[in-house]
Amino acid sequence: MAITFLQAVVLHIFKKINGERTIYSLYHLFQGKRSSQTIQDAHLYQLTPYFHTYPSVTREKLEKMVDRLIKDGLAAEIAESKVILTDKGIETLDGQLAEHPLPVFLNGWKYHQITDSFWERLTLLIQVSSNLIHRERRFIPVRNKRETLNWVKQFIREQGEDRYHLAERLYLELVTALDNENTMPELIVVRLSGFKKIGLTTMQAAEITGLDPARYHFEYLNCLHALFDRILEDPARYPLLNGLIKQPERKVPLTLSTEKTYKLFQKGYSIEEIAAARNLKGSTIEDHIVEIVLSMKGFKIDSFVPPEKEERILQAAKKNSAKKLKQIKERVDDASYFEIRLVLAKYGDAEWN
Amino acid sequence: MELKGYLKKYFNFDEFRPGQQEAVESIIGNQHTIAMLPTGTGKSLCYQLPGYMSEGPVLIVSPLLSLMQDQVEQMMAMGEKRVVALNSFLTPPQKAKALENLHHYKFIFISPEMLGMESVIDRIKGLSVSLFAVDEAHCISQWGYDFRPDYLKLGEIRRKIGEPLTLALTATATNEVRRDIADKLLLEKWNEIVFSVDRPAISLALEKVSHFQEKQQRTMQLVRFLKGPGIIYFSSKKVAEQTSAYLREHGISKVMAYHGGLDSESRILIQQQFINGQLDVVCATSAFGMGINKENVRYVIHFHMPMQIESYLQEIGRAARDGGDSVAILIYSPGDEQLAFQLAEAELPDEFQIERLFTFLIENNVVYQDITRLEEELAMFCGFTDIQWRIVENYLSNLESVDYNQDKRSLLHLLDNRLKVKQSKIKQMLEWIHSQECKRAVILRTFNEKLEDRPENCCSYCGIEMEDFKETDASSDERPIGVDWKQDLASILLLSERI
Ligand SMILES: [Zn+2]
Repeated sequence: MAITFLQAVVLHIFKKINGERTIYSLYHLFQGKRSSQTIQDAHLYQLTPYFHTYPSVTREKLEKMVDRLIKDGLAAEIAESKVILTDKGIETLDGQLAEHPLPVFLNGWKYHQITDSFWERLTLLIQVSSNLIHRERRFIPVRNKRETLNWVKQFIREQGEDRYHLAERLYLELVTALDNENTMPELIVVRLSGFKKIGLTTMQAAEITGLDPARYHFEYLNCLHALFDRILEDPARYPLLNGLIKQPERKVPLTLSTEKTYKLFQKGYSIEEIAAARNLKGSTIEDHIVEIVLSMKGFKIDSFVPPEKEERILQAAKKNSAKKLKQIKERVDDASYFEIRLVLAKYGDAEWN
Repeated sequence: MELKGYLKKYFNFDEFRPGQQEAVESIIGNQHTIAMLPTGTGKSLCYQLPGYMSEGPVLIVSPLLSLMQDQVEQMMAMGEKRVVALNSFLTPPQKAKALENLHHYKFIFISPEMLGMESVIDRIKGLSVSLFAVDEAHCISQWGYDFRPDYLKLGEIRRKIGEPLTLALTATATNEVRRDIADKLLLEKWNEIVFSVDRPAISLALEKVSHFQEKQQRTMQLVRFLKGPGIIYFSSKKVAEQTSAYLREHGISKVMAYHGGLDSESRILIQQQFINGQLDVVCATSAFGMGINKENVRYVIHFHMPMQIESYLQEIGRAARDGGDSVAILIYSPGDEQLAFQLAEAELPDEFQIERLFTFLIENNVVYQDITRLEEELAMFCGFTDIQWRIVENYLSNLESVDYNQDKRSLLHLLDNRLKVKQSKIKQMLEWIHSQECKRAVILRTFNEKLEDRPENCCSYCGIEMEDFKETDASSDERPIGVDWKQDLASILLLSERI
């Protein structure tokens, strides 16, 4: 049976979650909710590529979609709001993915903070450059955020270069960085505005490229994220494009509450002390610590888990593909759930596979 | 220099449009002025030109944020840098910075709510404003079709900033409304520049169909037949989307829907595509067209009846700005007025919602000053829409003291009046639809005018030759997009000789 691209994405995610979380965890994932739970789940189930990739989704739309999947016999509800794939679902998904693989460069977790602002700046810079080389000063910008307008104006000034060279360099960087046989750069290019040419809306772009709107959206993100990979691999080669990437305000994107915990922890407070000082439960502080481990590569956990125990937990996790905390705990019975979560968080997505 | 010399110098125009010269002369003659000029005559020139000719900044009050944003952008696109918009789009630091630098600006656009703040008034007091311009001034009148309670404060504010020279601009205001404008702005003497609401270049057609499907089919026929570009107005976002999709499915490709439910990127792009000629037709709600300058719109179709004659005139007025012959067609099917009545009711909070509101206020002993902070909670508890909430908030936050029972009664009374005004406006529109005489004459009569010169294609009652509006050249220069993205990118960023 034929399924849509979005249904394939949803089935793919449900397959990974395997009924261990409700369907609403998917909603929070698409929305990119900055809560410890969502962030940890994204890592635990290797769903980080999808973090904050479809914020226009609503609970109602998601529920409808799940109902449809159940009705079509592709998924089954095993507990309230928890679904798993049926055999038919798995088979259909595999068939679909063989034909239309999921976007390979998608990396919402890594890029969600920079994607929108990059796109705003890029589209405006291109429109301005294009009008500049045609000596057209009277045009209405396709962006109306004052912040973006000022930023681009400043950026052009900083380049200290004549308009023709600037546009040409921009062209050369883009044409090289976008060229990638595993993406569809035309999805980006049809949306660009320039001199006497206004770019297409997402809806028009989807229509003209013959993709359904959800597929268009993910392929568009895929294209941008592939572009980011290229730029960040060799920033010296793409100085203009690299300059458009907004430096995140915080190097470590922590939720606000976690940030507070982190600061206290750095001052040497223990979990119990932080909990008392902040008038929060110890388990909440533990959630914060797990989030810190997920967000900061190289954060040392040995003050919470002895290295020897860490090794045993890791071994148990490797044997246990479902990664259910409970199953790991059965194998390492002297470990607490907190210790297990820390170890899983530290080793991120791939390493126990 | 003569006035036309200034016109040439600042705008590079040779001639004024009807009414502009009279309005500008009245202002530079130091008279308070109420100017009623038809839409599309470039009202903004009436405050810009006097602004250039005198010292001190021009303060422009504008009711709609989107309109304000458009005007600022257009002025900037024309190369005027000393222009700023003070409204709720600004973040607190941006606002602080704009206020600090206010004396550097020549044209200050401001929303009525922002102008209501003491700190802002204090800052403006020190600027010696050369002209206080009130755009869409009919919003100040309860008799107007678009009454805005926060406009009522403008008279008092005007007094606080030293009663500067004042210009009230509107496209459509009856005698009654114009008197009310002067009264509310506390003008003792004023000069009125009133131009006819008549737009002889636009033929007025009314067509009746029997049901929705027929309406959609007729719309498609018209779009195929008529010379574009055109705008089709709807009262419902959903029907606008549906019809746009219906037209596209039937091979009319350069059409898009435009409404408030779209994201801001799409809204800007669609508007610009239309201006740039990439789209022939826009299926729009009334949000579309305000503040956009497109000279060559050839037809306006109303899929739903407007809620009042004033909006009808505003919307058809987006056609024929270049003076070329154009046609406005309203398609009516029996019962269409029900949607209008429903919308009118839905805009205002109902009795049940007001009861719940006051129950909450009394139980929690809320002072009205705190009401803005409770927006989310109250909107949820009473089920207010954004528009409903603004009406309630505005009313209560302007009360000096608290007397819950009295205030509830007077609010209900006010709402009841507003509803009656709206309903009578709809009935007036409906009478026009059903009238068995010249459609143009009926509209003019509403504004106490007489039809002097009947244009050739006057209206569907007098007779219209639709062939005159037919599309004659069926050329389509559709360029395939996305065939070669590198080529497309090059055509944007490289000059053709360099490709
Ligand atoms: Zn007539």
